[in-house]
Amino acid sequence: MTIPEVFFIDLLTIVGLFVIISMSLNLEFGYAGVPNFGKLLAVAGGAFFVGAVPGRIMMFILSPGSGLDFVQNNIEAVMLLNQVFASDALASIIYLVFSLVGAAVAGGVLGYVASYPAIRLRGDYLAITLLAMAEILRVIADNWPEFIGGSMGVRIPDPFRWVGGETRALAVAVTILAVVAIVFVYLELVLRSPLGRALRAMRDEELSAEVYGKDVARLRTKTLMVGCAIAAVGGALYSFLTASVSARDFNRVTHTFWPWVMVIVGGAGNNVGALVGAGIFVTLRKFITFYKSYFEPFVPFDVVWLEYLLLGLALIVVLLYRPEGLVPERPTKTLRRKELLEIAERVRSEASSK
Amino acid sequence: MLGSILRTRELVKSFGGVRAVDRVSIDVRQKSLTMLIGPNGSGKTTLINLVTGVYRPDHGKIFFDGTEITGYPPHEVFRLGVARTFQIPQPFRKLTVLENLLVTQPGNPGEGFIKSLRRGRWKKFEQESVEKAFRILRLLNLDHLWDQEAEKLSGGQMKLLEVGKTLMAGAKLLIMDEPIAGVNPALAHEIFETFTRLRDEIGITLFLVEHRLDIALRYTDYVYVMATGSIIAEGGPAEVVYDPKVIEAYLGE
Repeated sequence: MTIPEVFFIDLLTIVGLFVIISMSLNLEFGYAGVPNFGKLLAVAGGAFFVGAVPGRIMMFILSPGSGLDFVQNNIEAVMLLNQVFASDALASIIYLVFSLVGAAVAGGVLGYVASYPAIRLRGDYLAITLLAMAEILRVIADNWPEFIGGSMGVRIPDPFRWVGGETRALAVAVTILAVVAIVFVYLELVLRSPLGRALRAMRDEELSAEVYGKDVARLRTKTLMVGCAIAAVGGALYSFLTASVSARDFNRVTHTFWPWVMVIVGGAGNNVGALVGAGIFVTLRKFITFYKSYFEPFVPFDVVWLEYLLLGLALIVVLLYRPEGLVPERPTKTLRRKELLEIAERVRSEASSK
Repeated sequence: MLGSILRTRELVKSFGGVRAVDRVSIDVRQKSLTMLIGPNGSGKTTLINLVTGVYRPDHGKIFFDGTEITGYPPHEVFRLGVARTFQIPQPFRKLTVLENLLVTQPGNPGEGFIKSLRRGRWKKFEQESVEKAFRILRLLNLDHLWDQEAEKLSGGQMKLLEVGKTLMAGAKLLIMDEPIAGVNPALAHEIFETFTRLRDEIGITLFLVEHRLDIALRYTDYVYVMATGSIIAEGGPAEVVYDPKVIEAYLGE
């Protein structure tokens, strides 16, 4: 593969991962108004699940007599499993799908845990509590070697080994983009239904929504469960990209604050906005990293800070000149506009014929 | 002659030593526009709070549509069809006028994370809701604004939208505290004309507290006058305003 090809595939992969996370945040914040400042919780939770559970189960199924512990004898265990996966496409795919579904379930459970404060607290108080919950999970994983190898992390078996060689990167990218497509279609269907409208109503005027019979606590809980399940799949996919899991790979800047910037820049309350936001953010960041050394003679500080400065500037510019984001919110399209106008016309002619 | 939709019998509510509502019995006739007037501090708002379940009466009984609702919590009272609009309108700001109505229609089958995917199961409900919503918007003269975001409406239009939402939710009795406070006279007349249209065309009963009698009286079927916690006069608008007791209550001796 040529260098531009590698660059492009890598870009698509990373954009895809962040689109998944920012769409989940858009569901929670853009639609339902839950300020999830603990996005890291679900992303890391999904990855940690992939680091802790599927490898152990695979060891138990494929070589029960080896006496190797998945975490303590991590390198040997993963080599053993990779030998199997290198020649068995079906086992690889089953392992991948099982891991992703498991991560989604783990994310859903974490979302349910996060809903405990989320149905009791509002605004800043909720944001800071969710932020703390995410930090707690990260610190536990970092300090508990038996879980996912502590600060060293673990390697995980590679479900793309049978593809092999150069095309592996392409296979990972295609898998991630397929998940992006599934999540996008699911969320679009959900949000173009009466549910999407009810979530936006709850976000705009919670008390009123409650008076008109919406079960606000239930809606918030379910939103967080679905949002966290989606984000956890994103975290799991990241682990398969690197074929390893480490608590140190996950932090609040990358997995909470960046998705927030993506959603705000792209436009909260619109899935296309989340997509555009993630695309612009990741691309911009990649180019800054690529070209920042050229600025060395011009800036009076270390060029590594350029990234934060420029991305922060981009956020401020968008907030000043286009506060509703690049792709603003639109009404919930449960029916086509044409159909609505037809009904309106029918009602009007009925009334005038009376 | 239609029966009464709302009846209270000997309602009493005290705060400390003050009897805010003192043995009040009223009958609000079905499909009427009934008004409650009286000087400040006469107990009008307390009476409304008793009827809508915000306060529990110390004594007495409340009936709505033949059912005793004494002591029911506000959401139960609302479910039966007694709607009290917020004094300050609180629309769902980013939702359009049409969406504001659609979202208040109870029993929507498409409001779940899995149910919402089964479009075939909620599409018909949605079409029927849209039709009902357009009928209500037409009565309220808001139909030309259906696609407008609610936050862009004027104050008077927001009040009408609030009324529309309660109608969509299935209200039979609308209770409103000063619906035309702070509204210019032209729009105030328009609002009252809308109320009479609601009464005549879909049979809604309205029970209103209002101070601006110059505008409101001509639209009213029946008036109750309260002073110091009691009903001191009742009747058609013409007779009540010339009642010496009423003049005395407003102007003093």
